This record gives sequence, C-alpha cells and structure tokens, in this order.
Amino acid sequence: MVFGIVVVNVLLAQTSFRITSAEQRLEELSQEHLELVSEQASLSAPGRIAAWASRHGMRLPDDIRILHASGGRHADPAGAGTSSTDGASP
Amino acid sequence: MSRPPARRLLALFAVMAFAFAAISVRLVVLQVGQAQELQDRALDQRVRTTELPAQRGQILDRDGARLALSTPAADVYADPRMVLDPWAAASQLSPLLHVDAASLAGSMSQDGSFVYLARQVNRTVAERIGELALPGVGLLDTSKRSYPAGSVASQVLGFVGTDGVGLTGLELGYQGVLAGTAGERTHELGLSGQAIVGGVDVERPPVAGSSVVTTIDRDLQFQVQEALEDAVKAQRARGGTVIVMDARTSQVLSMASYPWFDPNDFGDSPSGTYRNRAVTDAFEPGSTNKVITAAAAIQEQAIPLGLAIDVPWTMPVGDYVIHDSHPHGVMRMTLGDIVAESSNIGAVKVADRLGAPALATYLARFGLGHATGIGFPGESNGIMLPLDQWSDTSLATMAYGQGIAATPLQMASVYATIANGGRWVQPSLVRGTIDPNGDFVPSSDPQSHRVVSAETAHMVTRMLSYAVQDGTGINAQIPGYQVAGKTGTARIPAPDGSGYLEGQYIASFIGYLPAGDPRVVVAAILDRPAAGYGGLAAAPLFRRVALAAITRLGIAPAERVSLPPHALPVG
Repeated sequence: MVFGIVVVNVLLAQTSFRITSAEQRLEELSQEHLELVSEQASLSAPGRIAAWASRHGMRLPDDIRILHASGGRHADPAGAGTSSTDGASP
Repeated sequence: MSRPPARRLLALFAVMAFAFAAISVRLVVLQVGQAQELQDRALDQRVRTTELPAQRGQILDRDGARLALSTPAADVYADPRMVLDPWAAASQLSPLLHVDAASLAGSMSQDGSFVYLARQVNRTVAERIGELALPGVGLLDTSKRSYPAGSVASQVLGFVGTDGVGLTGLELGYQGVLAGTAGERTHELGLSGQAIVGGVDVERPPVAGSSVVTTIDRDLQFQVQEALEDAVKAQRARGGTVIVMDARTSQVLSMASYPWFDPNDFGDSPSGTYRNRAVTDAFEPGSTNKVITAAAAIQEQAIPLGLAIDVPWTMPVGDYVIHDSHPHGVMRMTLGDIVAESSNIGAVKVADRLGAPALATYLARFGLGHATGIGFPGESNGIMLPLDQWSDTSLATMAYGQGIAATPLQMASVYATIANGGRWVQPSLVRGTIDPNGDFVPSSDPQSHRVVSAETAHMVTRMLSYAVQDGTGINAQIPGYQVAGKTGTARIPAPDGSGYLEGQYIASFIGYLPAGDPRVVVAAILDRPAAGYGGLAAAPLFRRVALAAITRLGIAPAERVSLPPHALPVG
C-alpha cells in the first residue's frame, strides 16, 4: 500500500517535471517563432530588397511600355503613338 | 544517601506530564486557534501570482505584410543591495548592453532596491546575461515593438513607448484593439521553482490583441517615399506630402510626409517628424481648389460651358487687386480654359456668377471645414469661415483657394469625389481587424454622399484632362495614359498674421488616372520648392508616383475622355 502510494507520487512528480519542461519548450518555441516572423518581415522589407537590387546594378524602369494584345500595338515611352507587331501576347 | 526511586520517578513523570501538557496546549493553539492563519501564511510562501502579458496585435499592410509586430525581449534590472561588486558586474554587462560600464556601475551602486539597467533587450542578449548569473542582476520578460520596414509609413503607424502603450499614429488610435487583455497565473511552487503537483494552479489566460489590417500598400508606400524624398531634395523644399488613394473606395494606399522618422529609433528624430501632416496639418490649397469652383458652377449652371468670357490679367476686389500668375492681355476663356490655364481672375468671375452661398455649400459638401473621420488621431478640420463671417474678398479668394485651409487628405478627397463620379466617400486607413482566433472583421462601411451629379463630375474630368494635356499640368503627362489633374501654387500665410510670405509657395498637383476610368488619386505637395510653381515642382512628383502606382497596381489605360468646350487654341 505504502509502496504503491510512493510510486504514484514519484510518477506524478516526474510528470510534473515533464509538463513544466514542455511548457518551457513551448514558450521558447513560441518566442523563436515570433523572432523568425520578425526576421522574415525584415528580410522582405522593400528597403532592404531595393538596396540589394541597387548593389547588383538593378533599378526601376523610368517609364512604362503598354502592350495592346488585340491589335499587337504598343505605345512606347515617348508616347508618340508608334505601333509594332511584337509583344502582341498579353 | 540517595532518594527513593519512586520519588524520582514521580518527579520525572511530573516534568514529562507538564511538558506534554505544554506541547498539547501549543498544538491546540497552532492546529485550532491559528490554523487558518498559518495555512494562509504557508500558502503565501508557496503560491505565486504572475501576470501573463497579452501579445500586442500586429499592424499589417493591405496584403498582410507586417508593418509592426512585437517580439520577445527582456528588461535588465539590478537590486543594488544584492550586487557584490558593481564594477565587476558592470564590466561584464557593458559589452552586452552597449552601455558605458561607469554608468552601469553607478546605477548598481545607488541606494534603493530596484534599478533598470536596460530596457527591451533581445532574447539572445538576455540569455547571455542570464548565463552570467550575476548576483543582484535579474531579467523581466517583456516584449519589444519592431517595425520591420523601418521608416515606411512611419507617420501612419506611429510607435509605442517602453511600456508598450501606443503614443502616436495607429498605435495610439487603435490602442484598445491592439493591446489585448493581460492574464494571470496563480500556482504553488517548490523551492526550486518547480510547480507542485496537485497544488493550487489557477490560470486566467491573456487575450491577445487583434491585428489591424491597414489599407496601405507597403511596396507602393516605399516607392512613394523614395520619390518624395528625391523631389524634396532636388527642389530644396522644406518638406512635402504625398497621398495615394483608391479612386473607387477612397482607401489610402500610401501616405507620407517628408521628413519622416524610423519608429525603431524614434528618439533619434525630432518630434516634428512624428506628425502625419497629411492628416493633421492644414494649408491653403491654392488653385487645386478651383476644381470645387468649377464643379459648383457646372452643377448650378452658373455659366454655360461654351460661353467664353473676358479674362484680364488683374481685377480689383474690395480694397485689393488680384491677378493671374503671369501677365497677359484680355483673353476669351471658357470655364474649361479657366481650369486648364488656372486663371485666378477667371475663377473669381465664375464665383461671382455662382454666389457666395452656393460656393460655401459646395466647399462644405466636398468636405472642407470638417475632418474626414478617417479615424486617425489628431485629424484637423481645416479652416473654413462660416458664410456669415466672409469678408468682401472671401468669395474671390476662396474661388482660387486662398483664405481657406484644408489638409492634404481633404484635398485628395475632393479629387477622389470627382474621380468617383461625384460621390464623396469617407477616406479610410484601416480595412479591418484580425481577432485572436484569426477571423477577419472588416471595418464598417465608410460614409458617403453625393456632391455633384455624375455628368458634372465627368465634365470636370474633361477639364482636368485638358489641364494636363494642354494647360498648366503638362509635366504630369504619362505616355499611354490620360491623366486628369490640377496644379496649385499657393501663397503661405505669414506666421504673425500680417499677410502672406513674399515669394514662398506651397506647390501642389492633385489628379487621377486613367481619366476615363479613374483607379487611383494622387496628391503631391511640396513646401517651398525651388521651382516655385505646382506645374514645375509638384507635377513631376505626381508623375513619378503615378507611374509607381500604375506598375504596382497593374492599372491599364482606359478610353480617353474628350476635351471640354474651349476658346483657346489647343496644341
């Protein structure tokens, strides 16, 4: 009887330690998750990407080119109403 | 001769009986009289109640990109009474906290039982400090607000203080939504801090704050800020503001005022940079206000659209003489010409036909004189005198946008109203919230009201397109797209109220595109640019921002609108 009670108490104590350990691990992982989310947000920030692109010689286009799928025409950046048959696909 | 054993035994028995009685009495006192009190004291020693802080909600852009979020951190504190060697401890902490060792040693040498050594250090640093196991130095769990995109939309987002409470911007305006509700846990702990199985363990879990989903487009906002900064520097302006709005919903896609600040290090910037001037500051709009005069005149049929009137260079009004921006002879102008060429005299003549009560009515209907209700802290009403306080010159000056003040947001709303077919829609910055369960709760529908008819709005669009095609706004042209917009070059009131500053202007260009099917409204405003005029300084900024919006939002060209009736030669 006494032995049984002792065994149960030991098992309960062990379980308690495991629960506490698991809770701590969960807390650590939650914090790590938040930090990774923050890091992901920082890495995807447009300023960082723009700086990286600039260092590698890339830049935003100064103007835009409009392609007209139906007639195969496009308007060039000068807006002179030129037409072309290339770039007809949308 | 020794005592008889019986007497000695009797004495021993008496002593033992007394001792037993004393112990029994004490036992009764402890177990009965003081039982509850002692149980409570014992429980107090084992039971700990700790606050469980609520996770503050995030602020997201319209596509879910994180603009503000909280990460785990720790405050480092010391109990100076328990610190054995302040200088030794300081020398170990200094490189981790990046704080001068002498300062740390001083903090740990002062009187008292608690002093912060550093606030909101990151988890890695906190763990290293914990590993040092310095006597008298401890850590408190907290969180740190971070803004991953840096200064992007900083004036819209605002920031929080070290206590985690929003101080400006949406962080302040949505404090109640973002903060959540702290919880607490009460449990029995052993000496080692281990929870006691079967003991008290009551937890009231914290309720995390909701996340706020803004209408801001993070990537467009970044491009807008780059364009604005470049324009301000190129024009050696004192500052500038840009707003980009969805023409159909009046949702603000981008909003920035230069100079701005980095909310991650807001203490490094002057407090003036914290203000979201697009919402909180009013300025005299100048000629961009003529769109209201024109719309009112069309709606009230104050002037036939094909009628050309004489427009001289100057005209006396009360005790003053007003004039157009450039000398010219008497010109024959239609209302379309007046808008396209931005003639002050023409606008005054139209306003005379319209009358003060009607102009006042339309100024109010377009939203001037009262806050838009966008839900941003500190929004300004602008300044518009009640009709009964108008002077002899008020009708004339308000016709071309002086003697009245509006926020950039109010002016952007005016153009959004025209772009939206004559219906004013309340601007918005927040699409909704995401509750702790992950469910999206949309914001309530914005207020709206009709200001002018769709036909009137369309005619104004034709006039604004004319202004860009052949008027003062040609620098806003974008190849392949028809732009509708208006320049503004407004004088700046002197701070002492003595009139206007000489030779100093607020240059602006506000417009939308494509004119035939407006998708986006852009307001570009520069404070005292070198080029002076809106058409020279602000229109190129508008153009660059509009180009960014076209590519970012995938705006296709639309059918072109025709020019309005005009008397001036075109081309």
